[in-house]
Amino acid sequence: MNLVEKILARASGRESVQPGDVVVAEVDRLVMHDLSAYLTGKVYDERIGKDLPYPDRVVTVFDHHFSPPTEQQADVLNRTREWTARRGTQLFDCGSGNIHNVLMQNGLVQPGQIVVGSDSHTPVHGTVGALAVALGNDSHAGTVMPFGKAWFRVPELVQIELTGTLQPGVTPRDVALWLVHELGEGSVIYKALEFTGDFIKGLDFWDRWLFPVLCVDLGAKCGYVEPDEVTRAFVETLPGGRVDLLVNGDGDPVEDVRRFDVSSLPPQVAMPPTVGNVHAIGDAVDTPVQWAELGGHGGGRLEDFRLAAEVLRGRHIHPGTKLNLVPGSREVFRQALELGLVAELHEAGGTWFPPSTGSNQTANMGAMSAGEAMVSTHSRNFPGRNGSTKASMFLASALTVAASALEGKIADPRGYVGHGGAQ
Amino acid sequence: MSVNPEFQTRYEGRAWTFPANIPTDALVKSRYVFDPMEEIVKHVLEDYNPRFPLEVRPGDIVVAGHHFGQSSGRAIATKALKATGIGCVVSSAFSRTFYRNCFEIGLPSLEVPEVTEFVEDGDHLVIDLVDGLFRNETRNIERSVPPAPPFLLRMLAAGGLIALTQSDPDWAQRTD
Repeated sequence: MNLVEKILARASGRESVQPGDVVVAEVDRLVMHDLSAYLTGKVYDERIGKDLPYPDRVVTVFDHHFSPPTEQQADVLNRTREWTARRGTQLFDCGSGNIHNVLMQNGLVQPGQIVVGSDSHTPVHGTVGALAVALGNDSHAGTVMPFGKAWFRVPELVQIELTGTLQPGVTPRDVALWLVHELGEGSVIYKALEFTGDFIKGLDFWDRWLFPVLCVDLGAKCGYVEPDEVTRAFVETLPGGRVDLLVNGDGDPVEDVRRFDVSSLPPQVAMPPTVGNVHAIGDAVDTPVQWAELGGHGGGRLEDFRLAAEVLRGRHIHPGTKLNLVPGSREVFRQALELGLVAELHEAGGTWFPPSTGSNQTANMGAMSAGEAMVSTHSRNFPGRNGSTKASMFLASALTVAASALEGKIADPRGYVGHGGAQ
Repeated sequence: MSVNPEFQTRYEGRAWTFPANIPTDALVKSRYVFDPMEEIVKHVLEDYNPRFPLEVRPGDIVVAGHHFGQSSGRAIATKALKATGIGCVVSSAFSRTFYRNCFEIGLPSLEVPEVTEFVEDGDHLVIDLVDGLFRNETRNIERSVPPAPPFLLRMLAAGGLIALTQSDPDWAQRTD
């Protein structure tokens, strides 16, 4: 069995499972954010209503709002606060950070566990070797909250094998963007993806994070990196981190293997209207950008601020461009402070925002007027997601975001990082 | 499989077609998710066809291209589509969270490969979920597809996932 099958078999009390089986499994963690928790709690109260048997398994993170801009939004957050207090579940309130970053940094996901959530990027927790799947509100309210369980169909596995070494100025995020183009949006609907190969295995934990987060755009159910020494070392830094839960596959041959070499890849940009519209940076350079942002579900990592500082240290951004800096968690901000990145990026003209999901869905920030454009480390670029349907969102690496903020237009970062520099 | 006798497996209605890769944002924009359903249904798929929310009739059938309901897994997207009164939804391939939500909230759905190639707006369609039948009567085209797994059909027959767990104490054991 592979890692997904092993986890599902263990959690459903079966000796083995195979693709196509439908099983009901124990769920270790349910995570919701401020856009999903209210509706899920409402469904639970209206249709179930009894006390939660496992309230500690349920976690809510307010990540789209760091400070509600309207009375309606403030009301929704308050009702959700009231629900979490009444039901005894865990709440990370405004200012805590991005839902997934907060969950991981607080040790609330462990390898080998089953994690479910409303947010479509929930599969990102496969980075630690958990089975992480996005479900809908009715699964959460109807089976996870009252029974601690959820139903799953066992997915087929596709192995994504990445090999090679990146050129200077090219980062793992460029590889991730490019991979959506190479595989295609919705190309592996329902599959489980294993990210492997010497390129993936050579990445540290937070760079591996950029791969399972892609699952939703590829159509996959879940994705993971098999736990190894990098995983083990990372888990040991987590509060309550448990390496005894590590699960690996049996190494059975996988029928469907897709192989890619990253060695000659230039920086990549996902242009509107979808995340699969990925081009080599040459096709996007010189597009004026009024906004640049480091943040979002896959962004706002310490690594993103480190990379941006390599470009922006001692320089100042273009007067026509605003640079939003949105840490993925309070821990990221603390580390950025300690490393001097907060001051450096501030001096370069960037604006620090509270830990959150930043401009995702424009809940709290990031609306654009018709004709405006943003380049960011976000995960989505659908027109209308950030204000006007005539505004544009470009997705790129932290290096490209920084170089573009400097020039006021989308810029190739390779001119700013020396040989052997940022990777 | 025991099917609630009130559960309808056959649907017949007028087609509304939609292109590939429509995200759930287009079914319910995030700015409407906290609004009452009466308000939400006025905007379903309006960016793709402004006539749809105004002119959709009970029993109509939505026919969508590849990866329908991609992106956010919000169940309210399926609830809003159901609230328009449509009989069922057909796609060449659903996004997995959307497909899951359809069964969980009781919106009948069927996957029919390449379906948008042989359906135009207004065509008269007949669908049977249990037999895996898709027929376009206007164009005299028929396709046979595998029906959904029994667990999902049982869910649909019960009226959704919560109804299933409340009506069948053994729901967690009967998954085959």
